[in-house]
Amino acid sequence: MTSTLKGITLKGSAELVAEFFSFGINSILYQRGIYPPETFTRITHYDMSLQLTTDPKLKNYLTNVVSQLKEWLFECTVQKLVLVITCLETSEVLERWQFDIECDKSAKESSAPREKSIKTIQDEIRSVIRQITATITFLPLLETPCAFDLLVYTDKDLLVPDKWEESGPNIINQSEEVRLRSFTTSIHKVNSMVAYKRTDSV
Amino acid sequence: MDLDDDTSVLSTLKSFNSFISLPEHPQRPSDHSATGSGILHNQYKRSMELLEAAEKVQSKNRYLQLDQEKKRMEMSHKRARFELERAVSDNARDLEHEVDRNQDLVGRIKKLEGRETDAAKNLCEQVEASRALRKNLDGLNKKIDERDSRLNTANQTISSMKDEIRELKQQMQNKDSTISAQTLENQELQEQLDLQRRKYQEVSQLCQSLQAAESSCSEHVIKIKELERRLAFQEEDIAIVKTVKLEVARLPDLEKELKRLRDDNAFLRESRENCSLLKEEVEGLRRKLERMEKTKEELVNMELEKERLAEKLKAWENLGQSTGLNIRKPDDLSREVIQIQQREIALKEQNYSLNSRVRSVERSQAELRAELSQQRSRTMEEQKKREAQDALVRRLQKRILLLTKERDGMRAILESYDSELAPTEYSPQLSKRLREAEDILQKTQNHNAEMETQLTKAQEETGTLKLQLHTVEMELERLKKQQASVADSSSLTTKEEVGILRQKIEDLEAERQRLEEQNNILEMRLERHNLQGDYDPVKTRVLHLKMNPTSVAKQQRQQEVDALREEVTHLRELVRSLQDGGALVHSQDESSLHGSSLGLSLPPSKEVLDLRKQMESSELRNQRLKEVFQRKIQEFRTVCYVLTGYQIDITTENQYRLASVYAEHMDDSLLFKKTAVCRNVGLLL
Repeated sequence: MTSTLKGITLKGSAELVAEFFSFGINSILYQRGIYPPETFTRITHYDMSLQLTTDPKLKNYLTNVVSQLKEWLFECTVQKLVLVITCLETSEVLERWQFDIECDKSAKESSAPREKSIKTIQDEIRSVIRQITATITFLPLLETPCAFDLLVYTDKDLLVPDKWEESGPNIINQSEEVRLRSFTTSIHKVNSMVAYKRTDSV
Repeated sequence: MDLDDDTSVLSTLKSFNSFISLPEHPQRPSDHSATGSGILHNQYKRSMELLEAAEKVQSKNRYLQLDQEKKRMEMSHKRARFELERAVSDNARDLEHEVDRNQDLVGRIKKLEGRETDAAKNLCEQVEASRALRKNLDGLNKKIDERDSRLNTANQTISSMKDEIRELKQQMQNKDSTISAQTLENQELQEQLDLQRRKYQEVSQLCQSLQAAESSCSEHVIKIKELERRLAFQEEDIAIVKTVKLEVARLPDLEKELKRLRDDNAFLRESRENCSLLKEEVEGLRRKLERMEKTKEELVNMELEKERLAEKLKAWENLGQSTGLNIRKPDDLSREVIQIQQREIALKEQNYSLNSRVRSVERSQAELRAELSQQRSRTMEEQKKREAQDALVRRLQKRILLLTKERDGMRAILESYDSELAPTEYSPQLSKRLREAEDILQKTQNHNAEMETQLTKAQEETGTLKLQLHTVEMELERLKKQQASVADSSSLTTKEEVGILRQKIEDLEAERQRLEEQNNILEMRLERHNLQGDYDPVKTRVLHLKMNPTSVAKQQRQQEVDALREEVTHLRELVRSLQDGGALVHSQDESSLHGSSLGLSLPPSKEVLDLRKQMESSELRNQRLKEVFQRKIQEFRTVCYVLTGYQIDITTENQYRLASVYAEHMDDSLLFKKTAVCRNVGLLL
């Protein structure tokens, strides 16, 4: 897929976006301290150093989700990917990292590659991940033990696979929203944003 | 040495051999006489042997000599060697000595060098020091010079001082003499002073008398001044009296003048009153004037207004004249207005009717248009038909032409036949065929005629249609004209309508804007909802993996909580059981039974048991001690009672009762109280 220097196909785009999600989720989990930092290892990707989990359970879960997501991206049936951070004590949703995915469904019919180099896409992805890293400066501190969940917004006509089930949207009560950068592979456009629970103290 | 010996032996051997070999030749002739000379030979041999032996002895001797010599040589050699060695050792020792000395010397040289450098340094320092010293010396010399000079000057001064001293001494002596003279003088003066004092006392007495005289004098002076002042007053009084007298003389004149002045005064008062009256009058007049002016202005305004009104009136009258209406009064005007309104209403009604008519006309026009279009389509159809028929006609004509040609051809053939054949030879067949052909011709001609009639009919039809079209168009034009006229007539109403429509448009615009804003707000809200993660449940569904980390974590948490709860209940039970065990202290078995029932061999329970045991033993001991104490105290008390005959009881705290056996009554007793502060026991009773 990366050998096509000139353009990008639907398959390649789906893989790129899925890869971005994998790294993005890892980096959010590391930055927000959902998992202890010692369970992460440093690797270099997109010409920047990223944190990747070494927790086998988490790895397994992420590979499951990302592979399924790749399929859906290829079918252009996914609308959103949401990372929900909930407080374990009160089951309250504290943060929602939302990635809106706009699929160009015309790419399904025509298999012609699009004119966008992978380097520029990766540059865009890098800036998005940088911004995710930078958001911890304004996000409120997670003081209680938290867990995360990944929600996928898909088209209604999609068949629900095994191991998957329908879920609620997990909307935050009284939230502040911050839009982050977006990137596009010219087939999939990913708008990222984070919503967090408004704290009364400030 | 040995080699030398060997060589000597060899040399002897050689010489011997040479000796032996030499007499060979001379002995040969002797051999001739061998027989005769056998004895000789033996002798010779013997001599030889002897010689040999001698030689041997000699050699031995020699050998011994040599040996001795050798030994001697060796000895000498040894000695020489020994000496040599000794010399060598001596030399070595000397050398070592020399080396040591050398080293010492080198060390000493070094030391000396060091010393030299030190000395050089010292020298430098010394030089510097000497230089400094020299400088110091110079400075000191200078100082010494200075001091010398100073000393000289001091000496000079000393000499001068001595001179002065001498002079002073002389002066002193002089002074002493003068002092003595002065003392003498002083005594004289003292005496004089006494005299003077006495004089002074006298003088002071005189002075006092003088002061008294002076005070009396000053009093006198004051009196004099007072008198003088009085005199001055008197003089002034005199002057005043004089002037008064003069004035008195002028009195009648003044009285006359006074009268005159009074008259004048009365006159002036009257005139003042008059003046005030006049002023009031003037004020009144001025006010009047102002009022007049105001009224004048008003008048002018009124006149202006009147003129304006007159102009208006005239305008109205003109209007009335121009309009031909008889407007003279406002009533007329109102009437007129009402009429106009009525007329307007009528016009409006007319307008509405016209509008309705216009609409109806428009409708009819539309209908007519539709009809016209229908008609047009019909005419088109007709034209098409006509064209088709024209084409048919043309085809038919062509066919007719062909047929006539055919007929002509046939006729020619027939004629040729006729010419060829005799008229008699006409076959009936031919005539028949000719007839048939003529029939066909007839038919076609008929058909042609028919077609032509049809064509004319169609043409007529189209003509009528065209006429109809013309009429319809005419009508349309008429209607259009009518509509235009109607529009002209209803221009006023249309303006109003336009106004209304504009307003409506504005209203609609405002509403549109409002709606747009609302739309924007709603869109924003939608965006916000979208940001918050809202979704359209019709189009979208939210999925997540069943085994997601949150649910796993929650399950774990639940399990933990359950476990903790269990533990808590367990522990609570344990605590309760332990509390029960505490209540049943004495039954050790029971508590152990409790422990066993709980299935726990708790170390704290053991501890508790130990403690309990300890407690029990200590309590037992306490009790025993108490018993012993009680017994002992009782014993002591009885002993005290028996021995002393007194019994001490503690009635209340700090109060003691002393009762004696020998008391008259059993109730007789002494009560003591111990005060807390001084710890004294005082007798109360």
